[in-house]
Amino acid sequence: MAFNSLSYLGFLVAVVILYWILPLGLRRVLVYVASVAFYASWNVIFLWLPLAVAGVVFVCGRFIQANSATARKWLWIGIGILLALLAVFKYSAFLLSNLAGLWVALNSTSFSAASSFVFPVGISFYTFEAIAYLMDVRQGRVKMPDFVDLCLFFFFWPNILSGPIVRARELMPQLRFNRKFEPKYAFEGADRIVWGLVQKNVIANVLGIWVDRGFGAPSAALSTIDSWSLAVAFGLEIYFDFAGYTNLAIGTARLIGVTLPENFRYPYHAVSPADFWNRWHVTLSRWIRDYLFFPINAKWRGAPLPLYVSLIGVMALVGLWHGAGWGFLLWGTMHGVYLSAYRAYETARGEGGSAGKDSGGSWKAVWQIATLVAVVVAWVPFRAPSLAKAGSIFGAMFGRLSWRPEYGALFYVVTLTVALLCAVEPLLTGALAEVDEESGARGLSMFRIVVRPVAYLVGLILFLLFDQNYSQFIYSQF
Amino acid sequence: MLPDSQTIRNAACAAASELTGKTVKDGQKLVSSGLIDSLAVLKLISLLEEKLNIVIPPETLQPEDFDDLALIVETIERAGKAGK
Repeated sequence: MAFNSLSYLGFLVAVVILYWILPLGLRRVLVYVASVAFYASWNVIFLWLPLAVAGVVFVCGRFIQANSATARKWLWIGIGILLALLAVFKYSAFLLSNLAGLWVALNSTSFSAASSFVFPVGISFYTFEAIAYLMDVRQGRVKMPDFVDLCLFFFFWPNILSGPIVRARELMPQLRFNRKFEPKYAFEGADRIVWGLVQKNVIANVLGIWVDRGFGAPSAALSTIDSWSLAVAFGLEIYFDFAGYTNLAIGTARLIGVTLPENFRYPYHAVSPADFWNRWHVTLSRWIRDYLFFPINAKWRGAPLPLYVSLIGVMALVGLWHGAGWGFLLWGTMHGVYLSAYRAYETARGEGGSAGKDSGGSWKAVWQIATLVAVVVAWVPFRAPSLAKAGSIFGAMFGRLSWRPEYGALFYVVTLTVALLCAVEPLLTGALAEVDEESGARGLSMFRIVVRPVAYLVGLILFLLFDQNYSQFIYSQF
Repeated sequence: MLPDSQTIRNAACAAASELTGKTVKDGQKLVSSGLIDSLAVLKLISLLEEKLNIVIPPETLQPEDFDDLALIVETIERAGKAGK
């Protein structure tokens, strides 16, 4: 049951209405049942997996909390089991196919390494939440709850599929479900859901049709202008796809009065590679920073060599976290190199503040454009079906220059329009928030009674009209 | 013995202002606002250790423990150790 499906809309309406009708004591039961049913709708045979993850956290967390002398050992045991589960379900097929390739190359004999592992949705996300939970217990930031509460934390349906990756201290206190209904929950939730549906079904899916065709086309068919346009179109597709998913997740939670953390802060407005990662998939960046990058560099006190090695290594792992493939690894490594180069420049510059952010008008624009170009280039291996295909597209982008467009004008017009929408998104959001705030101060205003429901209706009609382009969220594959 | 709260707060203000190149005020968010990143937090820790003659073991800390002046004081009082 995908977030952008009609069946999900029906499920959501039923659960939310029941949630606010039921007495406080029964709300948790409802959310429990709804969460388990939602995850089971994806693949019922993997229902045991979030339970197993909760079990590992529960047992290891209890030992960590009970005895500080053995806490470190139990932390590593817990992390080891969680990573092993992730490796089995996410990386075994990739490892086996590469080992098979190596075997064939060395022995010139065939070797079958077909893997029948099915991918359990959400595993990358709830595994990271579980690791964070154990580390937070180790650092004394959270206490271990009972097993039932812990299971609900991992099963909570609004964010189980693809995040946002939440911390226990953010979500656990909200899982008491003891808030009284306020109209703002309905408005805020519906706003996010309708905008999320438009982002996914209207913008991302339409761009996705051209992107799929372009990245699947024979290598020689792409001109320079097509290759750059495709890279830009994919950058826009993945942003609106993932931001759309995130809005649906945050909106769903908001409808029952729960606040999930934001995942995007206008990433294509970033003024440096470091700024990009403060704006793109914020909850993953935060996880990487708090539980991987900071502890590693704290040990070395930010010394240059470990810093650059860890930047590239950690970002390569971020690439692999997205999927078992060389393209993801290359994408992550490219971002690691961008971040290292930027850090080296900052160090050489030797001033306080940040080079991109603190630059004046025209220099800021230069930083912004350079960051955007670097990010767009890195999307190529992320999306290309193979490294050979990525290399061919890079060749067309930087080497064999040819300006003959292969697509119809509509592709370029749509891509440009979406890019412009992306450029003015902060202004639009700011203006809408201002109108909403003003109308809120006047109680039930014209904006709330007429404009908002009409906007919801238009959004839903767009969703239905474009439903024929139905496709999965890109990040649900990670 | 650790310095008192006011001394830590003054040292934190001086160190954060030195890092950002701007005067940091009470309540101003440093990490969550993007004013300083995780590496700058490591520099901040080193500056604080130097200014206050204390040891702050950063392995058990997270960047957001240094998000504003009050949190820095709280973090040092919780995790800091006297003498270097």
